[in-house]
Amino acid sequence: MTVTEQRPAEIVPRQPASAGREGWIRRAPLLPALIFTIIVTQLPFLFTIYYSLQSWNLVRPGSAQFVGLDNYVKVFTDSQFRGVAVNTVVLTAGAVLISMVLGLAFALLLDRQFRGRGFVRTLLITPFLITPVAAALLWKTVLFDPTYGLINFVLSPFGAGQTDWISAFPLTSVMVALVWQWTPFMMLLTLAGLQSQPHDVLEAARVDGAGSFAIFREVTLPHLRRFIELGIVLGAIYLVNTFDAIYMMTQGGPGTASANLPFYIYQRAFLGFDIGQSAAMGVVVVIATIIVSTFALRLIFRSFQTEEG
Amino acid sequence: MAAPTTERPASTGDTRELAPARRGNRAGPALLTVLTWIVGIGFFFPILWMVLTAFKKEADAYTSPPSLFFTPTLEQFETVFSSGIGPYLLNSLFATVMSTVFVLLLAVPAAYAVSLRPVKKTQDVLFFFISTKMLPVVAAIVPIYVVVNNIGMLDNIWTLVVLYTAMNLPIAVWMMRSFFQEVPKELLEAASMDGASLWRSMREVVLPVVSPGIAATSLICVIFAWNEFFFAVNLTAATAATVPVFLVGFITSEGLYFAKLCAAATMCALPVVVAGWIAQNKLVQGLSFGAVK
Amino acid sequence: MADVVFDQASRVYTAGAKPAVNRLDLEIAEGEFVVLVGPSGSGKSTALRMLAGLEEIDDGEIRIGGRNMVGVPSRDRDIAMVFQNYALYPNKTVGDNMAFPLKMRGVDKATQQEKVRAAADILGLTDYLDRKPKALSGGQRQRVAMGRAIVREPQVFLMDEPLSNLDAKMRVSTRTEIAAMQRRLGVTTVYVTHDQVEAMTMGDRVALLADGKLQQFDTPADLYDKPANAFVAGFIGSPAMNLFTLPVSAEGVRIGSSELRLPREVQSRISGDRVTLGIRPEQWGVANGDGGASAGGVKAQVDVVEELGSDAYLYAHLDDDAQTAVVVRTAGRSGARRGDQIVLTPTSDELHLFDPESGDRL
Repeated sequence: MTVTEQRPAEIVPRQPASAGREGWIRRAPLLPALIFTIIVTQLPFLFTIYYSLQSWNLVRPGSAQFVGLDNYVKVFTDSQFRGVAVNTVVLTAGAVLISMVLGLAFALLLDRQFRGRGFVRTLLITPFLITPVAAALLWKTVLFDPTYGLINFVLSPFGAGQTDWISAFPLTSVMVALVWQWTPFMMLLTLAGLQSQPHDVLEAARVDGAGSFAIFREVTLPHLRRFIELGIVLGAIYLVNTFDAIYMMTQGGPGTASANLPFYIYQRAFLGFDIGQSAAMGVVVVIATIIVSTFALRLIFRSFQTEEG
Repeated sequence: MAAPTTERPASTGDTRELAPARRGNRAGPALLTVLTWIVGIGFFFPILWMVLTAFKKEADAYTSPPSLFFTPTLEQFETVFSSGIGPYLLNSLFATVMSTVFVLLLAVPAAYAVSLRPVKKTQDVLFFFISTKMLPVVAAIVPIYVVVNNIGMLDNIWTLVVLYTAMNLPIAVWMMRSFFQEVPKELLEAASMDGASLWRSMREVVLPVVSPGIAATSLICVIFAWNEFFFAVNLTAATAATVPVFLVGFITSEGLYFAKLCAAATMCALPVVVAGWIAQNKLVQGLSFGAVK
Repeated sequence: MADVVFDQASRVYTAGAKPAVNRLDLEIAEGEFVVLVGPSGSGKSTALRMLAGLEEIDDGEIRIGGRNMVGVPSRDRDIAMVFQNYALYPNKTVGDNMAFPLKMRGVDKATQQEKVRAAADILGLTDYLDRKPKALSGGQRQRVAMGRAIVREPQVFLMDEPLSNLDAKMRVSTRTEIAAMQRRLGVTTVYVTHDQVEAMTMGDRVALLADGKLQQFDTPADLYDKPANAFVAGFIGSPAMNLFTLPVSAEGVRIGSSELRLPREVQSRISGDRVTLGIRPEQWGVANGDGGASAGGVKAQVDVVEELGSDAYLYAHLDDDAQTAVVVRTAGRSGARRGDQIVLTPTSDELHLFDPESGDRL
C-alpha cells in the first residue's frame, strides 16, 4: 500500500533563483519595439499639447508666445471647425456603414461554390489595394468628369447626362470613392467570418427544418456579429484619418464643405501656418478619439478574448 | 477561431447536384453566380478602364461616348518616364523596403516575447500598440514637422523610413503574434528536450514554421508604406518625394490629360496591387491585427 | 539507463491552490516500464512534465540516476520524450527530425547518419527518410517521434499519450510494438495514458493517480486483484467493479431485503456496521430466478444484455431496490434476455471490502 499521507505543510510555487533576471531576458525582445513606438508616436503628442498653448505662426519666426487656452477658445468658437467635425462624423460613419452593408452582401455572394470564385474574389479586393491617391485621381477624372466621365455616360440613358458630381455633391463624391475602396475590406472580413462557421451547425439547422433565410438570421448573423463589429471598429480607425481622397478630389471645398478634421488641421498648419491653433485642434481630436476608442477598444478586446477563449 | 480562410470542402455544392428534390430550383444558384460575376466585374471596371485608358492616345481618351476599341500605344508610359518618375519610384522603393526591414527587425522579437514566452502585462503592451493606431496621425504632424525641420531632416528619405516603421509596427506585432501563437508549444518543448538552446530552437524550429507569416506581414507593410501619402506630401519636396506625391505633382504640371494620368496612376498602383494579390489570403489577418484568420 | 525517483515531488500553479501533483512518491527501477494512469485532471501528465523539466518541481525532488533534477533544464537531463501530437519539426525531413537531437549535441555527421539509419530500420521508416512529416500517415508520424527518441539513447524515455491520435486498430498494434521495443532496448520508460487497457497491457508496474495524489503503485495483476481503495477498484477493470455500501448482518451483508452470505474469513475483516463491498462482474454466479432461488443469493432483473461473442455482460437491477444496478459477466450465448429474473451469488472468496468512509481496503 503506497497511499501517501498529506503532510500539513502547504506547498508553495518554487521561485526560480533568477526570477527577476529571467523576466528581463524574456522582456528584452519586446523593448526595442516598445521604446521606438513610444518615441515616434507618443512624444509628438506631448509637443502638440505644448504648442497648443502657444500663439505661433510659422511664417513669422520668433512669434511664439504663451497664450494659455486662447487657442482652445478659438477652436470651440470656430463654426468652420464644428462643420468640419460634423463632416468627419458623416464621412466616417457613412463610408463605414455603407461599405459594411455592401461588403456583407458581396461576402454572401462569394460564400458559395461556383466557377471562377477565386478570380471574382481577386477582382473584388483590388480596389482596396489601389494606392488611395491613384484611386481618388481615378474617380475625379475618368469616372466623375462631367463630359467624358464613365458615370455620366452610364447614367445618360436616364437623363442625368451632364452633372458635375464633385462640385454638386463634394462630400458624397468623396464618400463614394471611399466606399469603393473599403467595401473589399469589409467583404474579406465577413467572408472570413462566414467561412469560419462550423459546417455541422449549419447542417444541424437544416436537419432541424430551418430554411435558408431562417438559417441566415438565426445561425449565421449571430456568428457574424463579432466580425461585423470588428469591421466597423477597424474601418472607423482607418477611415477617420482620411486625407488622400479629400486632398485629391476636392481640396476640402467648396469652402470647407467636404473637409474633414485631418484635412482642416492640415490646411491650418501648412497653408495657414497657424501652429498653435492646429495643435489645439489636434488635441481636441485626440481627446474625442480617446473617448470613442475606449468604447471601441472594449469591443475589440472582446473580439480577441473570444478568439483566445 | 481556428478555421483558416481556405476554401471550404465542396460538399455543399456537390450534394445539391445529387438531391433530386432540388432539381427544379437549378436556376437560383446559376442566377446568383451570374450576379456575383456582374458585381465583381462592375467593381473592378474602373481599374480595368484606368489600365485601358493608359494605353490610349489622348484623342481616344477624350471621346463621348467612351471608346472601347482603339490602337494601343505605349506613348503615355513613355511620357510618364520622361517626365522623371524614376527618382520617385526609387524613393518609394527605398522607403518601402527599408521600413519593412526595420518593422520586421523590431516586430518579430516583440511578437515572440508576447506570444511564446509571455510575461506579465503582455496584454497591456499589446493594446498599447493598437491604441497608437487609433490616435489620428494629423494630431502629430505639427510637432513632427517642427522637429524634423529643426534637425534638418525635412525632404530626407530616412524621415519617411522612420515614420513608416512606426506606422506599420503595431500591425506587424499583432500579425506576427497571431502567427507565433499557431506554433505548437510542444515543438519548443521537443526542441529543448532535444538539447537545443533558445537561440537554436528559434532559428531551427520556430522561424522556419512562421516564415510564411513573416512573408505575409512584409507584404502588408509594403502595401501600406507604398501607398502612404500624408507624411510624404508634408515632409518631402524635390529630393525625397515618393510616387503618390509624383502623381499629385503630375496633375499640376501636365494638366488633366486622362491617358497620361491613367498611365501614371497605373504605374503607381501596380506594385502594391500585385503584392496584395499575392498576400490576399493573409490580408484579413493583417488588417484585423490578427483577430481574424 | 538510470533509475527514476519521485521523492515527495509536488507541483502547485498558484500559492494556496490545490496542488496539481501532491507529494508524489515513486521509485522506478532501471529498465522498468512504468505507466502513469488516471482520469483527466489527475496530475499524471503534470508529473511526467515535471520529470521532463517542462514544469517546475515546487516541492520535493525528482532524481534521475541519483542526480537531483530540481532546477536542471530539460536539455541537460538526458531524457527523450514522445509527445501526444508528436511535435515533429514540420520544415525538416524525417531523417533530419530524427537527427536533430544528435546534431544539437554536436555528434558528427557520419555517426548521425548511421544512428538515424539504424533507428529507421527498426521502425520501418527507411523509405521515408527524405519525406516531410506532412506527407506521412498518423502511424508513421508516431514512429518518427519514437525514432527521434531512440537515436538519442537517453537514460529515460518519456511518453505522453503517444497513441491517442491513432485509430483503434493502429493503437493496438503500436501498443505491442512499443512494449516490445522497450524490452529490447531496456531503457527506463515512463508512459502516461488515460486508457486502462494500455496501462494494464504495457506496464511492468502501473501508478494510478487521482486528484494529484498517488492511489496505488503496483503490477497490473495486483492492481486488479488487490485494489488499494474503492477508487482504484472502480477505475481498473471494464465493466467496472460493482460497489455497494451495505449494512453488516450476522453472517454477511444485507443487500435489499436479502442477505448476502460472506465467507467467514472475509466477514472477520469487517469492523463497523456498514461496509463497501466490491464484486467484479465475473465474480457472480448466475442462476435462473424461476427455478427456486438458492439461499443467500440476490434476486435481480435483467435490463440490458451486451453480447460480445466470447462473453456477455448483463446489466440488471435488484428486485428489492430498483435504484441499485449490478453488472454481471457471463459466458457468451447464455440465452439471457431483457426482463429475465436471475439470482446472483458471489462465486469467489476474493471479494473486496472497503471502508465506507475512507475508501481504504479492509
